[in-house]
Amino acid sequence: MKTKLVMKALAVAAGVAIGATSGVSAETVGPVTDPLGVVKIPKGAPIHIGGYWTLSGPDVNLGLDQKRGAEIAMDDHGNMVAGHPIKFYAEDSQCNAEGGQTAATKLASNRNIVVVVGPDCSSAGTPGGPILWKAGIPSVATSTTAPSLTAADRPEGLHGYMRTIYNDLAAGAADAEYFWNRMECKSLATIHDGSPYAEQLVRVAENRFKELGGTVTAAEAVAPTDVDMRPVLTRIATTKPCAVYFPIFVAAAAQIVRQFGEIKGLEDTTPIGGSALMAPGFLEAAGDSAVDFVFTNPDTSPDAMGNRYPELVKKYKEKYGEAPIQAFHQNAYDGMAVTLMGIEKVAVKDDAGNTYIGRQALRDTLFATKGFDGMGGEVTCNEHGDCAGFKFAAYKFVDADPESFEIGKNPIKIYP
Amino acid sequence: MTFTVVAASYRHRERQRSAPYRTVMAGVTFGGVAVFLGFVGILTMFGQREVIAETLSLAHLTIAMSAFFAGLWVTHASSRTGLAARVAQGLGAGTVAGALIALLALSIHLFKLRRVFIALKKDLLDILTFEQSIGAAVAVLVIGGALCGLLGAALYLMPRKLRRPLVVGLTWAFFVGLFQELIQLMLQYEFLMKFRELFFTWDGLKPQGALIVFAAAAVTAAAWQAYRPRYDSFRENATPGQARMLLGFKILIGLVLIIGFPAFAGNFIGQVLMLVGLYVLMGMGLNLELGLAGLLDLGFVAFFAVGAYTTALLTSNADIAIANMSFWQALPIAVVLSVVIGVLFGIPVLKVRGDYLAVATLGLGEIVRVLVLSDFAAPVLGGAQGVLGIPRPSIGGFEFNDPVDLFYITLVASAVAAYFAWRLENSRLGRAWTAIRDDEDVAQALGINLVNVKLLAYGLGAGFAGVAGAIFAVMLASIFPHSFQLLISINVLALLIVGGMGSLPGVVVGAAALIGLPELLREFGEYRFLFYGLVIVVMMRLKAEGLWPSAARRRERMLEEESRAAIEAELRGGASR
Amino acid sequence: MTAQAASAPAGTRLKALKRITFVDVVLWALRVIVVVVVVGGTIGTFVKGTYTTAQWVDFFMFGLTIGGVYALIALGYTMVYGILRLINFAHGDITMAGAFSAYFLASSLDRAGTLDAFPLLAMLAIMALAMGVCAGIALIVEHICYRPFRHVKSLAPLICAIGASFFLQHAFRGMYGSTIRSYPDPEWMKGRLDLFGFEIPVVQPIVILTALGAMLFLYLIVQKTRMGTAMRAVSEDRDAAALMGIDVNKVIIFTFILGGCMAGIGGVLYCFVYKQIYYFTGFFPGIKAFCAAVLGGIGNIPGAMVGGFFLGVVESVGPALFLDGIGITAPYQLRDLIAFTMLVMILIFRPQGILGERLASQRA
Repeated sequence: MKTKLVMKALAVAAGVAIGATSGVSAETVGPVTDPLGVVKIPKGAPIHIGGYWTLSGPDVNLGLDQKRGAEIAMDDHGNMVAGHPIKFYAEDSQCNAEGGQTAATKLASNRNIVVVVGPDCSSAGTPGGPILWKAGIPSVATSTTAPSLTAADRPEGLHGYMRTIYNDLAAGAADAEYFWNRMECKSLATIHDGSPYAEQLVRVAENRFKELGGTVTAAEAVAPTDVDMRPVLTRIATTKPCAVYFPIFVAAAAQIVRQFGEIKGLEDTTPIGGSALMAPGFLEAAGDSAVDFVFTNPDTSPDAMGNRYPELVKKYKEKYGEAPIQAFHQNAYDGMAVTLMGIEKVAVKDDAGNTYIGRQALRDTLFATKGFDGMGGEVTCNEHGDCAGFKFAAYKFVDADPESFEIGKNPIKIYP
Repeated sequence: MTFTVVAASYRHRERQRSAPYRTVMAGVTFGGVAVFLGFVGILTMFGQREVIAETLSLAHLTIAMSAFFAGLWVTHASSRTGLAARVAQGLGAGTVAGALIALLALSIHLFKLRRVFIALKKDLLDILTFEQSIGAAVAVLVIGGALCGLLGAALYLMPRKLRRPLVVGLTWAFFVGLFQELIQLMLQYEFLMKFRELFFTWDGLKPQGALIVFAAAAVTAAAWQAYRPRYDSFRENATPGQARMLLGFKILIGLVLIIGFPAFAGNFIGQVLMLVGLYVLMGMGLNLELGLAGLLDLGFVAFFAVGAYTTALLTSNADIAIANMSFWQALPIAVVLSVVIGVLFGIPVLKVRGDYLAVATLGLGEIVRVLVLSDFAAPVLGGAQGVLGIPRPSIGGFEFNDPVDLFYITLVASAVAAYFAWRLENSRLGRAWTAIRDDEDVAQALGINLVNVKLLAYGLGAGFAGVAGAIFAVMLASIFPHSFQLLISINVLALLIVGGMGSLPGVVVGAAALIGLPELLREFGEYRFLFYGLVIVVMMRLKAEGLWPSAARRRERMLEEESRAAIEAELRGGASR
Repeated sequence: MTAQAASAPAGTRLKALKRITFVDVVLWALRVIVVVVVVGGTIGTFVKGTYTTAQWVDFFMFGLTIGGVYALIALGYTMVYGILRLINFAHGDITMAGAFSAYFLASSLDRAGTLDAFPLLAMLAIMALAMGVCAGIALIVEHICYRPFRHVKSLAPLICAIGASFFLQHAFRGMYGSTIRSYPDPEWMKGRLDLFGFEIPVVQPIVILTALGAMLFLYLIVQKTRMGTAMRAVSEDRDAAALMGIDVNKVIIFTFILGGCMAGIGGVLYCFVYKQIYYFTGFFPGIKAFCAAVLGGIGNIPGAMVGGFFLGVVESVGPALFLDGIGITAPYQLRDLIAFTMLVMILIFRPQGILGERLASQRA
């Protein structure tokens, strides 16, 4: 008993000691004063940037794709920022909370890191964002769409968290409006795959659809590793919906699209996917059934926004030997591009060639990004950190050959 | 008995291979490992990683090491041949390994292998050819391989006095180079910055740093080697009082290290140690079930989930929360609930034996996972969106916010749990468990109530996992169903086996090896599970009874070895007769 | 137990009641819950009348199709378990390895037009490649993970196989990439068949018949050949078999090769039905197939078959039949729950599996 007490006391004492030293206060280094602290980069030393995505386990494609997008953005910047080489640390978020927490803790304990790009999963960002922000590091998330992360009443810890991807609230509602107004559907069935992303999107869309006066005939769910979708589709077929909405990931979505045509009773039903399918990988996975398949995605057509995307795909293939494996590499590219631009804006040089970056200043600059011409559309941030201006569009694949993937040609934009 | 004989003769036969065969096999095996690493893309990743900045990349080190170890291994395996022959074999094995890698370089150069094997691309070719022409590269690889093989043989044949310091120095330099990022993380404060600049650049260890590390480690090893006999004789002749003091001193150092080190090393190390701590808790729980009572369980994650979800729902400020308790109030409830679920979990599988138990528990674990994630249970458990807004624990105004703070909670919980587990192991109940593990029928005949004893094993084991789950929930401040995968059950089982079943220190060692090490080597994230699988297989091959087996098992093992040696000797005698 | 109690005289009835333990209560409660869900759900579903007969036939055929694949993979588990008493945890990933390697042949045959011109020949070539790769890897796994532990009673081989499973997955991810590849979709496979007035895609009978054929072949090998006799002998008592002059090593190697071949066929069929292949494809079907083997009675070849079909059908029909009726949302998300509940129920109430295990009474 005694030893336990002593240990407890020791533990508490040690804890208090650490707690006391970890407070952040205003700091002046060289020419810069910043309430959260200043990072000084000596002449010729690298600027440290962190990143964390899913780099292991079954969801690895999601994260690897985004890491590659970010790396291409750095290549395009000559791997230099503000006259310094970039030192990039990519960590593994494992697409779960504990992975996100560990990765963020590791990044946060490196005091040279000025900003972190990522993560890809909302479940990793929820614990990860606050840890980084506590160390004065802003996060530029690249595919976390959960509304709670940038809600107006989000906890203090998420005030340094922004994202170059849309918010489920905007996307789900826009999708529902498309089904109601444009497709003139009165009934809708939905499928999600148990990921926080798809589930949230589906719920938002269902609610909006009901508000508009439609009926939701079936709300189904599958597992991302399921291969036999015929039973669940047969079940949906009994409710005869006008459209089936499944904003899920490539593997399961491709199975649904492939097996859709085999199901009797779904002849008059339209399958509609989400933006996770905007990738050549989907064409490979879905084969011929992908032709004429419609999915919703933020509008990335040249006339709406970025016209450099085909070039990104080309560089991607060149560098990694395969076509993009998921659909959010362009968001990661934008996240990194915006970040590098922000650093260049904030960086202050002294006469000796040293660079100084204020942490709060960097956060504010990043949050003030306006009208950046990105690969995934225009990047304009609001005060809560939502930066991907969501402009709804619907796309349709016209060719099943993965080589032919080119936004605007295959898939073509059918709306607006 | 029969099998021991069969096994012994099998081993005997394996030793009869001819020298050229051994040489080629050693080269092919070790060279093959390097080629394999090239095929899966690890070599390319290693190419970006410098052990010594701008001098030696991990990829080149791996290539050299494959030839080096081929030479070393074949020298080791040919203990009965003459010196010159052994050196020649080392040279030969190194050459074969080098040639194999050269073959890989050539085939990447000549064929379009990239269509199928995506890792065989130009980056890899550049690494293999040292950015030279292909002809020069082949020559370099073969000759370099031969030299490295020679070095391997030389190292093995060197006198022990010289070899030991050399190996220790090289190993230290290698590990400091490999873990440079972590070490740099610890050296970013004030006066330590000077050290950092002396040893490291941002990309790795400086050559001078490597030299200093090597020299320091080698000198220390040499000194220790010289001093060792005196220490040993002191230890042997120590009076009981001195021995106690020595032990006390060791324990004190251990305690200071485990309490002081995380505070010094910072939050990341604290976080890793906390994860290790959580797995230690779960490992101790499974140890009661499997190590003592012999009940295989592949659904252990279920109890972890119960602990985490109970804590989350009792303390969170989210809408679905059912109470607004503090962590300290919720913890006992979580533990009790885990125990109850553990008992309920145990009932259906009471009569299931052996490997069926693995499948049954796996099924139960999966049921919990599916339920937690499902829309069906979402109104109660939060479904895919999980439970957010779990407050951190606090004592009298001090909030345990940082990973290091939370690590101390885990440490205390583990210590209490370890004490509890240790007392259980030596209790009447513990002996009853051991009895049913060794023979259920005999145990029943001895008047042990199988049902109660087994259910207690499940319940108490689950309680440990419940504690781990509760801490896990406050550590993350939010929980998501995707955290409760089959992988956790597998991890816990694997760490128990790797550490040594039935042994408490084994649990700690196993958790450190299987959970801690991958976290420390996060930069190889993409290949994390590949290494994980490899480590498990290699550890099982080298030390099947675990890294730190329990005393009883160690005795068994020794007896086994003795009887096998006796039989082998007999066989050999029989053959010559 | 309680059934007897009901018919007993009053005095002993009280005693019998006393003997009812907490455990019995829980087990009975479990039975009651399952029966209520199954019966209530079924009645509810039919009262609602959501599904037509044709749809029930569809559900059943979907289940048989995936069940056929489970069965083929389960054969490998069951044989290895029968001989070695060990779970070959890496078997699912071995299946993936073979099918993934065969993908490259299949897609090049498809591009060359051979797959459409000579379907049988092309399919045989693809399967042969998959079988070769599977058998090769199975042998390596045996050599590394099982042989050293053949004479030791411990969990080491299970852990070793788990390690091998991770290793295989990620080695293949490293080699072939993490893209989801898709198997070709030749014209002849898209056809439909008219069976007793129900339209059925032609792939489904192909899978089911191949699975049945493979099982028959295997059954004949085990029952009628010398090697099969040796296998049965080793599975009965390895020591005695060795003393009778049977080369145990050879038998084990043969078993792994056979299991690998079945995995190869299963993997290729799986990919022709479900098209996709990537490095993680093998894991869950592997676990399901193992459950199927246990369901049917492990070590029993027809048992693995029955278990596979049974599991497939329950997965496909179960959610609609049992859960729909009691108004559970998104029943197909609970598909694994039904499968595993059934597994646990079978293990409780019929531990030897549906057809009974073919093992010597004392288990390793």
